[in-house]
Amino acid sequence: MRLRELFTVDAVKLQLESETKDDLLKELISLLGLDDKSEAILFKTVKRRENLGSTGIGKGIAIPHCRSLVANRLRLAYGRKPGGIDFNAIDGAPVYNFFLIVAPPLEVSNQYLPVLGKIAQFAKDPEVPDLLLSLENPQAFLDLLDEKSR
Amino acid sequence: MNEQLVLMLEIQDMTAKAKEIESGELGDLERAHFGMDSTAAATTLRQKAEELVEELKPNVRERFRKMVKRFDRAVVPVIGGVCFGCFVSIPTATAGEQDPNADLQSCETCGRFIYILA
Repeated sequence: MRLRELFTVDAVKLQLESETKDDLLKELISLLGLDDKSEAILFKTVKRRENLGSTGIGKGIAIPHCRSLVANRLRLAYGRKPGGIDFNAIDGAPVYNFFLIVAPPLEVSNQYLPVLGKIAQFAKDPEVPDLLLSLENPQAFLDLLDEKSR
Repeated sequence: MNEQLVLMLEIQDMTAKAKEIESGELGDLERAHFGMDSTAAATTLRQKAEELVEELKPNVRERFRKMVKRFDRAVVPVIGGVCFGCFVSIPTATAGEQDPNADLQSCETCGRFIYILA
């Protein structure tokens, strides 16, 4: 399974506008195209995970993730915040790149954990943070995934 | 969606996550990539889950606890008309409403609380 296949152009936003952690999570969730009620439920679940410890893994990258009933299949989104925001990341540095992963509570294909591991591995590639910051359009993000996560 | 149902799913999700963090692959990933203290996180989740159980209406709480004791997973989805607890078909009348999860429903076969997934 390739990461590229799990993202769509609609779920990639290179100019996130939010200025706070909560607003940014909401904006990221909105990329999944859910209804208002589902977005509110998902926000609570994502926040609950963040309250256990930030998903900011350092080097400007965060990977908010959870299981939620609002997802009937594995859903992913990517957002980039020019200038970054404080996300209580592990290294204390601002976060610029956000990967959202949402899986259903019961998952027949069992992809959630392998995908979470793959995204974390992709994000830890030393070249990736700079490459993400230089992306010019959503398609370039998909191409980068293709190149770096085979 | 029925509020009691949402609450039960939250409780179930927290409990499942606590288990996954304590003993599963998720715990390994959370420790390795996110630096999570998995024991503390699991304890927090269980405490919060128990607090939420107290917020359920008394009759729902009682049944929820019974179901958890009996099946572990008290709330299950219905996918394609099949209960994913006992894998028996649910009558189609249950699956055709506008918001199929507006009311709290149970599987007539196994008794688990159910929610309909498209």
